[in-house]
Amino acid sequence: MNVDIQQLKSGEVNLGTSIMAVQFDGGVVVGADSRTTTGSYIANRVTDKLTHVHDRIYCCRSGSAADTQTIADIVHMSLQQYAQSFGEAPTVSVAANYFQTLCYTNKDNLSAGIIVGGWDKDVGPSVYNIPLGGGLFRQPWAIGGSGSTYVYGYCDATYREGWGRDETVEFVKNTLSLAMARDGSSGGVIRMAVITEDAVERLFVPGNQLPTFWEGLEVLGNSSGAKQPAVEPMAVEV
Amino acid sequence: MSAGFDFSNHSRNTFLSEKGLKVPKATSTGTTIVGCLFKDGIVLGADTRATEGPIVADKNCEKIHFISDSIRCCGAGTAADTEFITALISSNIELHALSTGRKPRVVTAMTMLKQRLFQYQGHIGAALVLGGVDPSGAHLFTIHPHGSTDKLPYVTMGSGSLAAMAVFESSWKPDLSREDALKLVTAAVSAGIFNDLGSGSNVDACVITATETEMLRGYVKPNERTQKERTYGFRRGTTAWTAEKIRNLVVSEEITPIGGEEMDTS
Amino acid sequence: MPNMSAIVHPQQRHFNPYAENGGTILAIAGADFTVIAGDTRQSEGYSIQTRYAPKVFRLTDRAVLAVNGFAADGNMFVKKVKQRLEWYKHAHAKDMPLRAIARLIQTMLYAQRFFPYYVYNILGGIEEDGSGAVYSFDPVGSYEREACRAAGAAQSLVQPFLDNQIYFKNQTAAPGRSHPSHLPLPDVLSIVVDSFTSATERHIEVGDGLEIYIVLAKGRSLQGVEGLHGLRELSTQEDGERVFVLQRDLKKD
Repeated sequence: MNVDIQQLKSGEVNLGTSIMAVQFDGGVVVGADSRTTTGSYIANRVTDKLTHVHDRIYCCRSGSAADTQTIADIVHMSLQQYAQSFGEAPTVSVAANYFQTLCYTNKDNLSAGIIVGGWDKDVGPSVYNIPLGGGLFRQPWAIGGSGSTYVYGYCDATYREGWGRDETVEFVKNTLSLAMARDGSSGGVIRMAVITEDAVERLFVPGNQLPTFWEGLEVLGNSSGAKQPAVEPMAVEV
Repeated sequence: MSAGFDFSNHSRNTFLSEKGLKVPKATSTGTTIVGCLFKDGIVLGADTRATEGPIVADKNCEKIHFISDSIRCCGAGTAADTEFITALISSNIELHALSTGRKPRVVTAMTMLKQRLFQYQGHIGAALVLGGVDPSGAHLFTIHPHGSTDKLPYVTMGSGSLAAMAVFESSWKPDLSREDALKLVTAAVSAGIFNDLGSGSNVDACVITATETEMLRGYVKPNERTQKERTYGFRRGTTAWTAEKIRNLVVSEEITPIGGEEMDTS
Repeated sequence: MPNMSAIVHPQQRHFNPYAENGGTILAIAGADFTVIAGDTRQSEGYSIQTRYAPKVFRLTDRAVLAVNGFAADGNMFVKKVKQRLEWYKHAHAKDMPLRAIARLIQTMLYAQRFFPYYVYNILGGIEEDGSGAVYSFDPVGSYEREACRAAGAAQSLVQPFLDNQIYFKNQTAAPGRSHPSHLPLPDVLSIVVDSFTSATERHIEVGDGLEIYIVLAKGRSLQGVEGLHGLRELSTQEDGERVFVLQRDLKKD
């Protein structure tokens, strides 16, 4: 069956994307690449696809840039309203349900794959996946976007329960690097956020400091260990 | 009359296009528009060519539109859409400023524009570069026709955006001086003018700082037309005619007063 | 429910062997000369492929061919015409006459009737009777001798201008006078230059450079070409027809 929700409108800005969120004991790590494309042109190479929707809740956006920005803006507003009405911070579950409702009821007009991650006082850290059709699934880890298809095996083989913050950050960093290396619509830098009860810590890995894996250097005759000249890190305003 | 778009011709036009009638081509600004951050604010730049297919419709059009005193917006795409959406948001920004009693912010204009464009699902063909200075600092955005936005220190849009971005990617650095930023923006727009057929003629620029906005219309004119080889005047009587009729367009009428007091017309 | 009507529409993709490379050519015949000109921009879509790709070629001392449309086909067609003219010269020990070249081009184009050369040809030069002549062709070989012709991207801009200035269309002559049937060379040259500078102003695919070929009848004086800036002679002998080329800059935006 031809699912036309997967089809972007012509000329639409696409978040080709590799995104993920992983729960650990004290919090959640969300991460994303930074590439937005229009066809083969990179419209933005330092995009921030991790969007703040409440104090301790972030979402990772994939699919149409316009659709996901609009959804995130609406949920952001709804959560502010929620906090005012009930006098307490919304749970990640509440946020994920807002996303789910929007994605499901407007499924014919949207192309949005969203991962919600955050910390709340009810259940602690949690990750929700809202794929294309508007389903809602709580998962210990979730990956999404076009790059994710390349790294399901890696995640299944690598993920362990009971990791701490640092191991989880490494896992996210490695997974995204692998996805970005294989997927042409993903790339640039890695942006991450570590969400815990106390704070949200933003992390940034420049494009020339991504972890590397086997790249066939000996095949290219570059195994002599000859030092390549150091690349200047790109000037980026964070 | 109700406000907004009039869709009453939609069914008729669908019928006509099914019968094979070509849809009229809208004037597009196949354009190079750019913007870049510098030490004291924002520089915006644009070429001045408007096209209808391969024909140049306007050799010196204005693509940097007014939003507020210190917010401006460059438009690419369908000329009518960029002009109207810009004017509409400018008007709403003025009302917003009046009702809040605060200086308008760039994010406010950006949000209004993106929400309007998203509502129309890409049918309003406006690709915008929005820049300005407000109490929270200098801000620069791109807004795509479907309503997505990006916040970046240097941006380009339109058919010449690749040529212009090549210039920015090779030379832009943080905290440029006003002179260097203007020079860079001129180089970026020129790259579009000379390498993209959709862009041409002159460079318009606009420098926005916290204290003043300077609109530099026709900042560089590298494409002035050379003198024609001949003069093409026509002798009186060149155009043939078959009949001549002269009518008096001045109506004269006689007024006869019939007494009584004259009407008070004051 | 997802839109069921949008399900399984067989799609066919087709390789398109043709491209449209922009540019414009024109030719004007005088009494004892012919002028053939073309701009030098080659483009595809909104991109310039090169700012100097000649579209006008000297075939013999009395024949010049301008080709416009799909550049690859144009270059191949000129190459094949030149080859046929070379063979003719070896067989007959003389250059092929202009009207014969015109007929040759017709047969060569029509040979490709069902996979045409995607080009509009304009052939200009001097006939055996010493008169200036212009032949224009469609892509499959229909042709006609004319006094002037424009073709290519800006044909719709230039041809009406030529009709007015060369054929004096829509101009009534002064009482007791008539329009000339041929214009002098300097007038023709300035009309050609103005045609291209104007087309450059209003058509995005025209610009960069202008090449004007001038073919003079045997024995004609050099009046009108002498002292022109940027003039180059291409003819092989001085006592036959003579070919000159004149290069001008056009705007590059």
